[in-house]
Amino acid sequence: MATLNDLKISEVKLSEGEGGKWGMVIDQDICTGCQACVAACAMENNISFVGEEDSGYGRSMHWIRIERFWEGEYPEVKMTPNQPMLCQQCGSAPCEPVCPAFATVHSQAEKLNLQVYNRCVGTRYCANNCPYQVRSFNWRDYKRPEPLANQLNPDVTVRRRGVMEKCTFCIQRIHKAQDQAKAEGREVMDGEFTTACAQACPANAITFGRTDDPRSLVSQLAKRRGHGAKHLEELGTLPNVTYFKGG
Amino acid sequence: MIKRFFDWLKQPLGLIAVGIVFLALFSIAAYGLYTTQQSPEQPIQFPHKTHVAFGIQCLYCHPGASKGPSAGLPSQAKCWACHNQIQKTQTSALLAPLKDAVLSGQSIEWVPVAIVPDFVQFNHRAHIAAGKNCEDCHGDVSQMNIAENPQVMNMGWCLNCHVESAGEDQEKLVKLTDCGTCHY
Amino acid sequence: MSEKFSRRDFLKLAGMGAATTAVLTGCGPASRYVKREPYQQMPEYNYNGQSTYYATTCRECAAGCGLVIRTIQGRAIKTEGNANHPLNLGKTCARGQATLHGLYNPNRVRGPIKHARGDRLYAKANDPFNDNFDDAEPNMSWDEALQTVADALTKYKPEEIGFLMGMAPDHLFDLVTDLANATGINAPVRFGALGMFESRATLSKAAETLFGEARMPFFDVGGAQVVLSFGANFLETWLSPVSYTRGFASLRQAETKMRGKLVQFEARMSATGGKADEWVPLRPGTEALVALAIGRLASEIRGGAMPRVFSSVDPIDVASKSGVKLEALEHIAAMFANSTGALAIPGGAALGQSNGLAVAEAVLALNALADNFGKPGGVYFSPLAPSQTEYQRPASAKEMQDFVQKMKDGKFKALFIHGVNPVFELPASMDFKGALANVEQVISFATFPDETAAEADFIFPDHHGLESWGYQRVVTGSDLPVLSGAQPVVAPYYDTRAAADVLISAAQLAGGSFAQALPFKDEVEFLRGKVSALMGEANGSFSAMDAVAFMASFQQFGGWWKMSDGRTAPSAADALNQNVKGDAAEFAGEGEFFFIPFVSPTLAEAGANKPWLQELPDPTTTVMWNTWLEMNPETAHELHIEYDDVVRVVSEAGAVELPVYVYPAIRPDTVAMPFGQGHTAYGRYAEGRGVNPADLFGGHFNEAGDLAFAGMKVKIEKTGKKRPLSRLESMMGVYGVGLGEEH
Repeated sequence: MATLNDLKISEVKLSEGEGGKWGMVIDQDICTGCQACVAACAMENNISFVGEEDSGYGRSMHWIRIERFWEGEYPEVKMTPNQPMLCQQCGSAPCEPVCPAFATVHSQAEKLNLQVYNRCVGTRYCANNCPYQVRSFNWRDYKRPEPLANQLNPDVTVRRRGVMEKCTFCIQRIHKAQDQAKAEGREVMDGEFTTACAQACPANAITFGRTDDPRSLVSQLAKRRGHGAKHLEELGTLPNVTYFKGG
Repeated sequence: MIKRFFDWLKQPLGLIAVGIVFLALFSIAAYGLYTTQQSPEQPIQFPHKTHVAFGIQCLYCHPGASKGPSAGLPSQAKCWACHNQIQKTQTSALLAPLKDAVLSGQSIEWVPVAIVPDFVQFNHRAHIAAGKNCEDCHGDVSQMNIAENPQVMNMGWCLNCHVESAGEDQEKLVKLTDCGTCHY
Repeated sequence: MSEKFSRRDFLKLAGMGAATTAVLTGCGPASRYVKREPYQQMPEYNYNGQSTYYATTCRECAAGCGLVIRTIQGRAIKTEGNANHPLNLGKTCARGQATLHGLYNPNRVRGPIKHARGDRLYAKANDPFNDNFDDAEPNMSWDEALQTVADALTKYKPEEIGFLMGMAPDHLFDLVTDLANATGINAPVRFGALGMFESRATLSKAAETLFGEARMPFFDVGGAQVVLSFGANFLETWLSPVSYTRGFASLRQAETKMRGKLVQFEARMSATGGKADEWVPLRPGTEALVALAIGRLASEIRGGAMPRVFSSVDPIDVASKSGVKLEALEHIAAMFANSTGALAIPGGAALGQSNGLAVAEAVLALNALADNFGKPGGVYFSPLAPSQTEYQRPASAKEMQDFVQKMKDGKFKALFIHGVNPVFELPASMDFKGALANVEQVISFATFPDETAAEADFIFPDHHGLESWGYQRVVTGSDLPVLSGAQPVVAPYYDTRAAADVLISAAQLAGGSFAQALPFKDEVEFLRGKVSALMGEANGSFSAMDAVAFMASFQQFGGWWKMSDGRTAPSAADALNQNVKGDAAEFAGEGEFFFIPFVSPTLAEAGANKPWLQELPDPTTTVMWNTWLEMNPETAHELHIEYDDVVRVVSEAGAVELPVYVYPAIRPDTVAMPFGQGHTAYGRYAEGRGVNPADLFGGHFNEAGDLAFAGMKVKIEKTGKKRPLSRLESMMGVYGVGLGEEH
């Protein structure tokens, strides 16, 4: 009988570089930048607000942010399509190999980049190495004055000072759906659940689902719109979020 | 200064001092460990043994275990449904806290014994669905009075069982040893 | 060496220290001593560790989106949209998401309070992370409170009693209306800052002039091919932003049609303008001219007789007045004329000018030219809500001025205020606060310790929206007539009481016609009576055999709606034969800059006390937690102003000081600032943050009585101070200077 000590690294099939499982398609053409996803993410994932001063230092903890850039000068100025930026759940993630504590690891089961809070010692190497700048660090214990803590989601760990955090693709919802499906003796259906950001988005600009299933809505959308782009793909990160820019 | 201190430590007297400090620390640690193995004070000296002996199933009072993440503690209305009809409830000193709580509408503050840290997401249902029985983790409650924790619920203990139950199934092994299965 | 601490020694000592600490803290039993209190009696539909979901209606604005709230054991955890609700189809905006930060806000009114006007309702806490309860203690019992209300109702003559109410909820408005009708007290007046900035009176007045019906138009953005928006910020806060955003998404990416285009005419690029395919920075005040010119050019392209409404305008003249090149006008007119689904929307700052009504009429006339009335991608009248016979709009700013004048004249002896914060929202020049001095008794039903509550004699706090019963009529945004239902999703957290319950109980105490007017046991009975009146209606989303079952379904589904399209087509007969005055707007004040206030897309009128809304970056500037003044880079360069320089903005009515955000997409002769901050009360997250543009508003109105909030010119004075803005796109970054000191 196998025990934990018999488990050798070599026996676990490394899936880095393999195709993803969960993925997202974001349509920048219809994203209005309304911040509903940002608020929904914060509410679902117990993200702390940091206050004016710390957010001025760039310490705000948004797991998803909406980027917009300017092109040209007045009067020919143009706002580039809003770009929701979140953890791309890279297949070959630059954050993972630099973590000395193995807190940033790849999930073999869900093909996601995990952040294991109880292992994190706060070196911030991962954030330094993330080309998307989507990791946020708990610089302090950001308190929630009573009774704000009543709103905390019990399915998500409340992080403390000195811990790195980032988008999890709402893994608690993935687990919940899998658990429910298993209890009912079936597979998780496409569209049965979605991430908090996709659920809130009034324009339906975010679609989440199984990219390894060609029949899922994300796969269909990616095929239909055709010219999707993955950010900084040239770095070989194998991101799992596809962007459609416009037109 | 510091060198002199270390030199002093190397003397017989110093070695004794080091020994005393070490022993003191060790005893404190041992005592700390010992206290973690004690059942905490409970508001009511609830005898699991008696209740199980009456043939009451675990899931009667902790129905959440088969339905979701948390097994749950019974509401006092549930206690009262039976105890209301038991003569001894009115007289027994041990049952007085229950009677008081029900009559005054106060909550009973239980101290859970089997808990995991808040960075662990534990789901009872999945374990029941996988064919685990309550006593596999919680011990033979039918022999306990006040609930106690039969084992240290640490990650090694969890993982041992996960690896064991995966057996030769590689896919299951990957799933059951994945960090993201419990930590998010 | 002996005096030095070698690395080896250090490691030895550190190791020993660490081991001791670990032993002493890690193994202690303290970590285990969590206490768990099970329910005394498990509520129905609850399971341990399982979520229960309740359908209700969002109260963050008056649009009436359906919500489903996830609760666990009596705590509200997460807001989701109600997927079956015809208005928002399962979606929410950021403010809907953050509604829980209102429910569990650290500064709420915790019970009935009698206090001296102007007294603080909570201790001042500059630190948002302060953990102390510091709200004012309730100092009355609810019995005393009810008696106070009953006394106020009976002590004064009916015509001396006034009700000022917000745009939500509708059930309370109906209750007060019933009370007023039966007892002769003044009919309740409704107002809200969002309604003021949306210029609702102008929209319905223009519809009346052109189509003969004072109704709220609905613009089917989703079905259109070319949308010309004259200042309408329909992707931010305008009327029903979730519904309009859905429309925008299908304008762009519907499977069944080509990608539609959005052209935005506005002097300052809004978040909506940022999404436009073409942004046309016209000179403020010339929107009506531009609309008429496009109409004329488009008519010429289409051929046939020139409609009267466009006949007198000269496109070349318009081009020079508006600063929009003639070629651009011709190109847009061609696009408009040649499209099969052309639509034009008036809104935002374009209506809040002295000629706002003319803008609305000119733009609606463009739709008449496109002949899109009642067609997909065109203009409809929004469906009237179930059991509603005519469109009721909130009071315009002009009507509010009359109301304030009545207060000043001492016409009101008792004033009840619910769901609105006029001290903050109305232009400071109207001096609502000063007018309150002439009202003998002011009773506020505020949930939060806002500026108006602080000026009241009594605060009898209403529940938060998520603890409340009620309904809200969907004014616009859905093709179905919708009555959106609200129910409590959690038990009231504090000793608050529903305003409807307070009025019903007080009316019973007052006796006489009051008791007869509200012969109900409680709010729920009143609600059931109103809702079950819909039972007989055909074609509803559900039906039931009796009132109890009907009410249960109403709660379960989050409202009742008709399953048939309730939109009607405006009559286009006379729309093109009007005579719309196309004069440019007049601007009050001496300054050299046009001034465009806009509602903050993330905070809106009442979001400032919700910390996560404060920390949401503004979609265009990414500023958090503050107010800023947007200024063109060229202008800033000329004035030697940089990012974060504090300037003084002086209008004819007042002055404010705030930092500059150098904004690339605004006309050089225009400055803009958001509305939503600048609170002097309203809880720790709102107070003392930013400035309120309402302090600058003069008392100017357009022809429909809406406030000409964008009808001013302002002066900019340098102060030499600096106040760094906290921005997501921050140039300060992790290693920067940050905030904290002014230098």
